[in-house]
Amino acid sequence: MSQHLLSLLCGLPLLSAFVVLFAPRQMVGFIRGFTVLSMLGTFFLSLGLLDGHYATAAFQFPERHVLVPTYGITYSVGVDGISLWLVLLTTFMTPLATYASWTNVSTKVKEYAISFLLLESAMLGAFVALDLFLFYVFWELMLVPMVLIIGIWGGVQRIYAAVKFFLFTMVGSVLMLVAILYLVAQYKAQTGHYSFELAELKLLLLPVHVQVWLFAAFALAFAIKVPMFPLHTWLPDAHVQAPTGGSVILAAVLLKLGTYGFLRFAMPLFPSGSHRLGSSIALLAVIGIIYGAYCAWRQEDVKKLVAYSSVSHLGFVMLGIYSVSQHGISGAILQMVNHGISTGALFLLVGVIYERRHTRELGEFGGLAKVMPAYATIFVIVTMSSVGLPATNGFVGEFMILAGAFMSEHLGKNGPIFAFFAATGVILAAVYMLHAVLRMFWGPLTNPENEGLSDLTRREGLVLAPLVLLIFYIGLYPNGLLRDMNASVEAFSREYTAKLIAGDRNPDRRDMLEKAWVPSDGLGAGGAQLEQPAREVQLARAGVVARTLEGGTP
Amino acid sequence: MSSLVPLMPLLVVGIGGFILMLVDAFSDEKAELATLSSTILFAAAAISGVLAASKTGIAAPPPGVAPFLATSAMAQFMNATICTGAGMSALLAGGYLREHALERGEFYVLLVLSAFGAMVLSASTDLLSLFIGLETMSLGVYCMVAFRRSSPRAAEGGMKYFLLGSFAAAIFLFGAALLYGATGHTDFDGIGKAIAEGTSSARFVLLGMVLVLIGLAFKVSAVPFHMWTPDAYEGAVTPATTFMSVVVKAAAFAVLIRMLIACFGGEALSNLVTGWPAIISALAAATMVIGNLAAATQANVKRMLAYSSIAHAGYIMVGLATLASQDPEVRATAVSAVMFYLAAYTVSNVLTFGSLIALGTYAKEAVSYEDLAGAGRRHPLIALPFVIGVLSLMGFPPTAGFLGKWYVFSAALAADDSLLWLVILGVLSSVIGAYYYLRVVVYLFMKAPEPGAPIAVPLRSGYVVLALVLSGYFVLKMGITPAHYIDIALAAATKLG
Repeated sequence: MSQHLLSLLCGLPLLSAFVVLFAPRQMVGFIRGFTVLSMLGTFFLSLGLLDGHYATAAFQFPERHVLVPTYGITYSVGVDGISLWLVLLTTFMTPLATYASWTNVSTKVKEYAISFLLLESAMLGAFVALDLFLFYVFWELMLVPMVLIIGIWGGVQRIYAAVKFFLFTMVGSVLMLVAILYLVAQYKAQTGHYSFELAELKLLLLPVHVQVWLFAAFALAFAIKVPMFPLHTWLPDAHVQAPTGGSVILAAVLLKLGTYGFLRFAMPLFPSGSHRLGSSIALLAVIGIIYGAYCAWRQEDVKKLVAYSSVSHLGFVMLGIYSVSQHGISGAILQMVNHGISTGALFLLVGVIYERRHTRELGEFGGLAKVMPAYATIFVIVTMSSVGLPATNGFVGEFMILAGAFMSEHLGKNGPIFAFFAATGVILAAVYMLHAVLRMFWGPLTNPENEGLSDLTRREGLVLAPLVLLIFYIGLYPNGLLRDMNASVEAFSREYTAKLIAGDRNPDRRDMLEKAWVPSDGLGAGGAQLEQPAREVQLARAGVVARTLEGGTP
Repeated sequence: MSSLVPLMPLLVVGIGGFILMLVDAFSDEKAELATLSSTILFAAAAISGVLAASKTGIAAPPPGVAPFLATSAMAQFMNATICTGAGMSALLAGGYLREHALERGEFYVLLVLSAFGAMVLSASTDLLSLFIGLETMSLGVYCMVAFRRSSPRAAEGGMKYFLLGSFAAAIFLFGAALLYGATGHTDFDGIGKAIAEGTSSARFVLLGMVLVLIGLAFKVSAVPFHMWTPDAYEGAVTPATTFMSVVVKAAAFAVLIRMLIACFGGEALSNLVTGWPAIISALAAATMVIGNLAAATQANVKRMLAYSSIAHAGYIMVGLATLASQDPEVRATAVSAVMFYLAAYTVSNVLTFGSLIALGTYAKEAVSYEDLAGAGRRHPLIALPFVIGVLSLMGFPPTAGFLGKWYVFSAALAADDSLLWLVILGVLSSVIGAYYYLRVVVYLFMKAPEPGAPIAVPLRSGYVVLALVLSGYFVLKMGITPAHYIDIALAAATKLG
């Protein structure tokens, strides 16, 4: 079974969606229960991924089938230290978000369940796809269920928000499609056959100016999804209008696909292009951190506040990624998971109060701690995690990112400056989050409407408890997660640096390497060794480069 | 060794058309004609599909036919596409005409004979057979557009299409005459050879080529020759609109491919700057941008689909522009990409128009976006194919439309960098497309009908259901497991005949 584990993971929600599709509309209870159970099943199945050998950078649980032989399109999937925790985050958050939705989604339950199941399938597919065509298909497939979730079950402005979300994402992804096609055309020109496989395409060495453009197209698609300043304007609309479950998934998983895209595709494929634009991206990340925090501070609507805080937090992740250091990238991946947990929890908490009061205005609340003590406690814990208080998960991630950025070789002398300004973002996070906590929970209970509010129900407690546990678990024992990332992250940064030196910084050296390159050498770069397809000679270059760097002779 | 086998699809459709006429004259039950005509067309589609996919090669046609009509794998592939599209339109007509009290037998006869014309047009290898096919096809379509006699819109659409179509035919003929005058040939290969040898007057050849291209650009409704399209599409009964958007387009593009390669494929005319690639690229750019922009502003779904079909012509023309490459492999890729796109577009469009038909009943045809409001909730089984159809037209995975776009753009980029701008323009304008296709989804699922507005009642017809199931099957099949179709198209693309 283990060799089909990833396909099972992607397939199970899809299969469940079909079951729900043919379930009678009136059987609401069955649909609700079945959906959550099948998602839990997916989660427990996904725990099997932990058995992989993440001490190596190679992809675990690989599977490869050729779909279109003529054009080299394959179904190839695999999971490594970078995607492992994101896959688990997805399978973990989806049942929680869906279960929490059943209190407030009472119309069109069947369609809602189907949308969530399809969404889960597509998200998992996008995290494990190792073929650019396959990835693009999953990447686009995520869009439709999410648009439906926002547009059907959302707030007053839902249609505007859904269409905006769709069009923003679409602009980015079609340009990425052109870049993919161009890249594959280049591969064809160099090797004589087509391939969409990441492991193959990664070995191409393209001229720097081409890389810059291709990287820009990929980066645009991913940056919109992240979202990075100044492409973030769809996010507050989408978040505020989406139903609670949709917001949770959007924040916890969908945004991560943007940052994951940088790590998995944009940077390994086009290191030189990425390096050229790296400082600008890091700068935008830092601007995003501060701007997002400032916007969050100024919000009266709690949900909008959390939405802007995402812009700020994802800025940290991007900064960590662009430090291209072991610390920074591991911290970034950890922070992706952290953000998923804490922002997911925050959206759930906002949903809880919205269901009771049908408002999210800060001014309407005050003194809630007196009537809802358990709610207030959990809210404060999650806030602390979001702010990055030591002993919570947020601290570890942000600390590692800041340390990584400070010492980054790739950011050079800008590193400490970026780290400095990013660190102010940590302070600002405390400002806006505590500001909100203060106005919601402390002070006198002035608004009579708040007096009779009931505390957390058992269902709500059941959803939030695992999140709180994880906040402390990761905060106190981050090594449990970091351990499995190390090998992949190390391979990533080594390969990135090696290709950079070969392709960009030192053109003379590149020529030398090319002359010395031995055709029969089938060594690939770093990890990514699926059942080795016939490797064309041209491609061994990068492998040679990597070895040269490690001190061997080419 | 010649045989009639490669001509079977044509014979089936041609003879079938005459049988239909007889049946129409001597029977009362009109709906049987829908069954009969779609059976004829699907049979022809199946025969040509088998021929196109056959590994052993296709026998030569009888000697008299060979100079005029291609019976190659490529021609068979296009026959299969055309007959499938026409057969599905006949199925849609079976439901639509009866519901809207328009059931008259001549519609099916016109449809089948037009399909015959389209097959001749798409297979022609000579200016003469091209013209005969073009006119046979067009005359039928003119009548089908104006079929709803009581409607002034139908009359307007039909008249406009007829006048502009005749005008285009005249321009085409003038161009054909110039080409004949300059080269002394009417067959494509002869014209191509004469141009390559340089014995013909370059000035006349160029002028003839431009006029011939303009004539065909009318038929595929490329901007700026698209003015008739929205009116004709809107005025026509919806099955006729479906027929026009898939069959006419497929036939005209098929013959364009053959002409561009056989007649004008030489170095001199396929030069990127001075030859037809510049014209085709400019037309493609204008068609994609204007088609999409105009579609985005429509309030009427049928008009929106008309403009969207213009936009799709633009994407296909990106594939035509790729034919400029002298590399046979790139050419084969481009030809197969266009062929695949046409097949994918045919089934997607049938699915979309079919769903639109299914949402309307007598005197309450669904035409505007408001008519669709809330239908997704009330009739999910009709809304679902509608959504799949528009997603496919949008080029969204995993549908046939996505694979089509991917293939055409991928072929264009495989040629060289000179078409990169066109591809980028194409994908960006397809984002505009995403906006108006998404509006269909928005109205179906996210809006409720205005209070007091008439609520669409779906049409109950086995014919329409069959058409939706068939086209939906192909949209998903070509989208999820396209390898088989791509390989057939690619193999056929190397044998244009």
